[in-house]
Amino acid sequence: MHKLGRGHRDKVQQFMTITGASEKIALQALKASDWHLEGAFDFFYSQPHIKSYTDTTRLEELYNRYKDPYTDMILVDGITLLCNDLQVDPQDIIMLVVSWHMKASTMCEYSKEEFFIGLQALGIDSLEKFRERIPFMRSELKDEQKFHEIYNFAFGWAKEKGQKSLALDTAIGMWQLLFAEKQWPLVDHWCQFLQARHNKAISRDTWSQLLEFARTIDPALSNYDAEGAWPYLIDEFVEYMNENGIIQNGQFSDRSQK
Amino acid sequence: MESKTIDFERGWDHVYKGIKQLRRILEGLPEPLFTSGEYVMLYSTVYNMCARNPPHNYSQQLYDKYREVLEEYITSTLSPSLRGKRDEFLLRELVKIWVNHKVMVRWLSRFFNYLDRYFVDYRSLPALNEVGMTCFTDLVYREVQTNIKDAAIVLIGKEREGDRIDCSLLKNVLDIFVAVGMGSMERYEDDFEADMLRDTGAYYSRKASSWIEEDSCPEYMLKCEECLKKERDRVFHYLRSSSEVKLIEKVQHELLVTYIDRLLEKEHSGCRALLRDDKADDLSRMYRLYCKIPRGLDPVADIFKQHVTAEGTALVQAIGAASNAPGVQEHVLLRKIIELHCKYMAYVTDCFQNHNLFCNALKDAFKVFCNNTGTDSSSAELLATFCDDILKKGGSEKLSDEAIEETLENAVKLLAYINDRDLFAEFYRKKLARRLLFDRSANDDHERSVLSKLKQQCGEQFTSKMEGMVTDITLSRENHAAFEDYLRSNSAAHPGIDLTVTILTTGFWPSYKPCNLNLPTEMIKCVEVFKGFYETKTKHKKLTWIYSLGTCNLSGMFDQKTIELVVSTHQAAVLMLFNTSDRLSYSEIMDQLNSTHEDLVRLLHSLSCAKYKILSKQPDTKTISRSDYFEFNSKFTNKLRRIKIPLPPVDEKKKIVEDVDKDRRYAIDAAIVRVMKTRKVLGYQQLVSECVEQLSQTFKPDIKAIKKQIEDLITREFLERDEENPNTFKYLA
Repeated sequence: MHKLGRGHRDKVQQFMTITGASEKIALQALKASDWHLEGAFDFFYSQPHIKSYTDTTRLEELYNRYKDPYTDMILVDGITLLCNDLQVDPQDIIMLVVSWHMKASTMCEYSKEEFFIGLQALGIDSLEKFRERIPFMRSELKDEQKFHEIYNFAFGWAKEKGQKSLALDTAIGMWQLLFAEKQWPLVDHWCQFLQARHNKAISRDTWSQLLEFARTIDPALSNYDAEGAWPYLIDEFVEYMNENGIIQNGQFSDRSQK
Repeated sequence: MESKTIDFERGWDHVYKGIKQLRRILEGLPEPLFTSGEYVMLYSTVYNMCARNPPHNYSQQLYDKYREVLEEYITSTLSPSLRGKRDEFLLRELVKIWVNHKVMVRWLSRFFNYLDRYFVDYRSLPALNEVGMTCFTDLVYREVQTNIKDAAIVLIGKEREGDRIDCSLLKNVLDIFVAVGMGSMERYEDDFEADMLRDTGAYYSRKASSWIEEDSCPEYMLKCEECLKKERDRVFHYLRSSSEVKLIEKVQHELLVTYIDRLLEKEHSGCRALLRDDKADDLSRMYRLYCKIPRGLDPVADIFKQHVTAEGTALVQAIGAASNAPGVQEHVLLRKIIELHCKYMAYVTDCFQNHNLFCNALKDAFKVFCNNTGTDSSSAELLATFCDDILKKGGSEKLSDEAIEETLENAVKLLAYINDRDLFAEFYRKKLARRLLFDRSANDDHERSVLSKLKQQCGEQFTSKMEGMVTDITLSRENHAAFEDYLRSNSAAHPGIDLTVTILTTGFWPSYKPCNLNLPTEMIKCVEVFKGFYETKTKHKKLTWIYSLGTCNLSGMFDQKTIELVVSTHQAAVLMLFNTSDRLSYSEIMDQLNSTHEDLVRLLHSLSCAKYKILSKQPDTKTISRSDYFEFNSKFTNKLRRIKIPLPPVDEKKKIVEDVDKDRRYAIDAAIVRVMKTRKVLGYQQLVSECVEQLSQTFKPDIKAIKKQIEDLITREFLERDEENPNTFKYLA
């Protein structure tokens, strides 16, 4: 430790406090990420063999606080309570990230296992720690790869159990939420289009391909290949945009502001 | 022969005397020819000078002397005679001295022959006649080669302008060029042919540039044909055959390739005009001229395609604009299209020798306008109706059998150009069913022949159901005979009415709505009797009765006279209700019959508001309403003893189109799965094109429909997108 500079020492301290890891691990993680804290967290949490320094008893206590009185699961009321405790809105996208860490199978409920998995992965065993993790989780949304995973996870999570497709309303809600983070200019047009022309559930393929579309195609749709393998619905969307004069001569002439 | 050594000087002296004698002979001086004895002496002298051991072996010296003698001969006698001569005179003189040289070499070589046998090989030296050739080349040829080349080319030029020239002279001169090459054509090609070709090119370029201005396309083409023929003759008469390909190519390039666009596009006489004015000969010539030029036919085929497309499209529009009655209009359209097809097919066969390019051009052109009829009905439906008109009774009985066959054959050919072949099959099948079931087919042979033509064109699967239908009818006839036997042997079972039942195998025939009509008792008995009979034949098959396709003959006992009414089974069921009641309301009929409103309205309308009013309706309006009352119209009469009361059929068009669309979705689905199962991993574009290929026999699939099915298969977890590359799909076993 004495070999390190002041700034680095601080980072190691910070790291150890937040993750509860040992100095050795902290150094390892920070060196691997070139002394960037965010990257170091990333490194630390993606190591599957690193034991999470969480106290299982405390986790149990936390779980019991939220669990439903009649079933061994956390249901809607529990989740609302949790959100209150965390001081976040239940509609906040952070809950999606939490669910992703938990690998929750469906929205509005967490099984005990899912709760444990998620919190352990995040190194949380108390509400303070939970609150402290929130900025980190928000940062995960900015990471391209993680956003991709979270986005694709959202489909399975948001749809009804036993259904293959996602109901249109739910899909639109999720898209509004997700693309608020990612800033896709066409999201409103997309939702309008779906409501006007489609009115049916969304398939998984369309869901995942839409992210590709938002990522790679520019808002003026100038690099869109109509002969490509884009899902049928996206082809229709492009046609819709051209028909309604929103895209003219490859120029995005959208007058409606968000 | 004495084997003694000879002194060189003496030996050479002897030989040289012989050489001098030879020269005098060649000069034409009166000199006796060599006797064989003299020849042998000379040969032996040489032999004796060579077949010795050193130092009496004078082979090398003799070899050198041979060359010296020749060189001396050439420079003193041959070359001088060439000097100062030009043009044709030069050529003649050259040929003369060439001949002399050859003779000299031949004789000398004979004298010195022994050298050729051993010395030459032993020392790897050039053989004697090679030496002879080299001397000539170095001392004569090299000096005059340019001049003789030019002179020869001038002569050729003169011949092109129409003068007669000495062909054999030219031939001989060119032989020299070849000979000088000593086994290779290099001298001929480099020293003569190259410039000859260049000159030819320049010549024809000049000619072409003026002809293209002055002449019409046919005139120009005639001239080209002439020129090409003349050039070929030239090769035959004096040029080497190896020149032919290059020469013809050069001429073709200057005359045909350089000006191809201007020639074909000539306003009043170019390709388009020739097609317009049916100039078959000129078009044949055009084909002949351009078929040997690589890609020369492409623009011609293109113009052909454009022309046919324009003609076809104009035809479709003209008939669309004409104000004939709808059915007639479409019939006329198809006839005209068939005529157009025959006309241009003749061009393809006669003028264009059935060349692939033109067959395809015709096909592509027809595909463009055959699929866009400009009416409500698709071209698939029109074609089916057209065939129906010809095949049904009262359709085309005025035409001879051959004419009918020919028309049907042409109609089937048109099918190749229509995209929705499966739609045609459905319409055809529906109409075939009507013809077969209502006995409206004019001629069994024609029916079968059309089916076999369709099978040839579109494959067995296309016609298998239809053939099944025709077979069903034949079987039913046999079956009926058996039924009659059955009735004869079980007279108690006889229903009291003449009954004919046609049995249809479900898969072959179009699907029909089953109906739960309440039949009159008499008919019920018929059904039971037949069921009994059928069970004796087979217990494994289930009979479903489709009364909507039946006909019934009723005797209408009207006041004035009894008239036989030919009606459908449904109509008969309605009428027979009036055997027991005088007057019935709409709803009473409805209840007793158990029909649908849609059907009942149609039925009642045909019986009370149409041409023959068998029932009288209250109120006497033109349409059926649910509050109407009906009575048997005993006052009805007609001068005929037997009348047919038609029941207009329901328009099935929409349903047919829906059915075909549904079938297409299955077909696309199956095609995608088939392709992916084989390929395992495939890119989107390739998948689509392979599907289109697979389905092309039957119909032209919509790319969007294919895309939808792909996505459907992804949802059903038959396929998945590749994670790295979303444009590629993987088959999930």
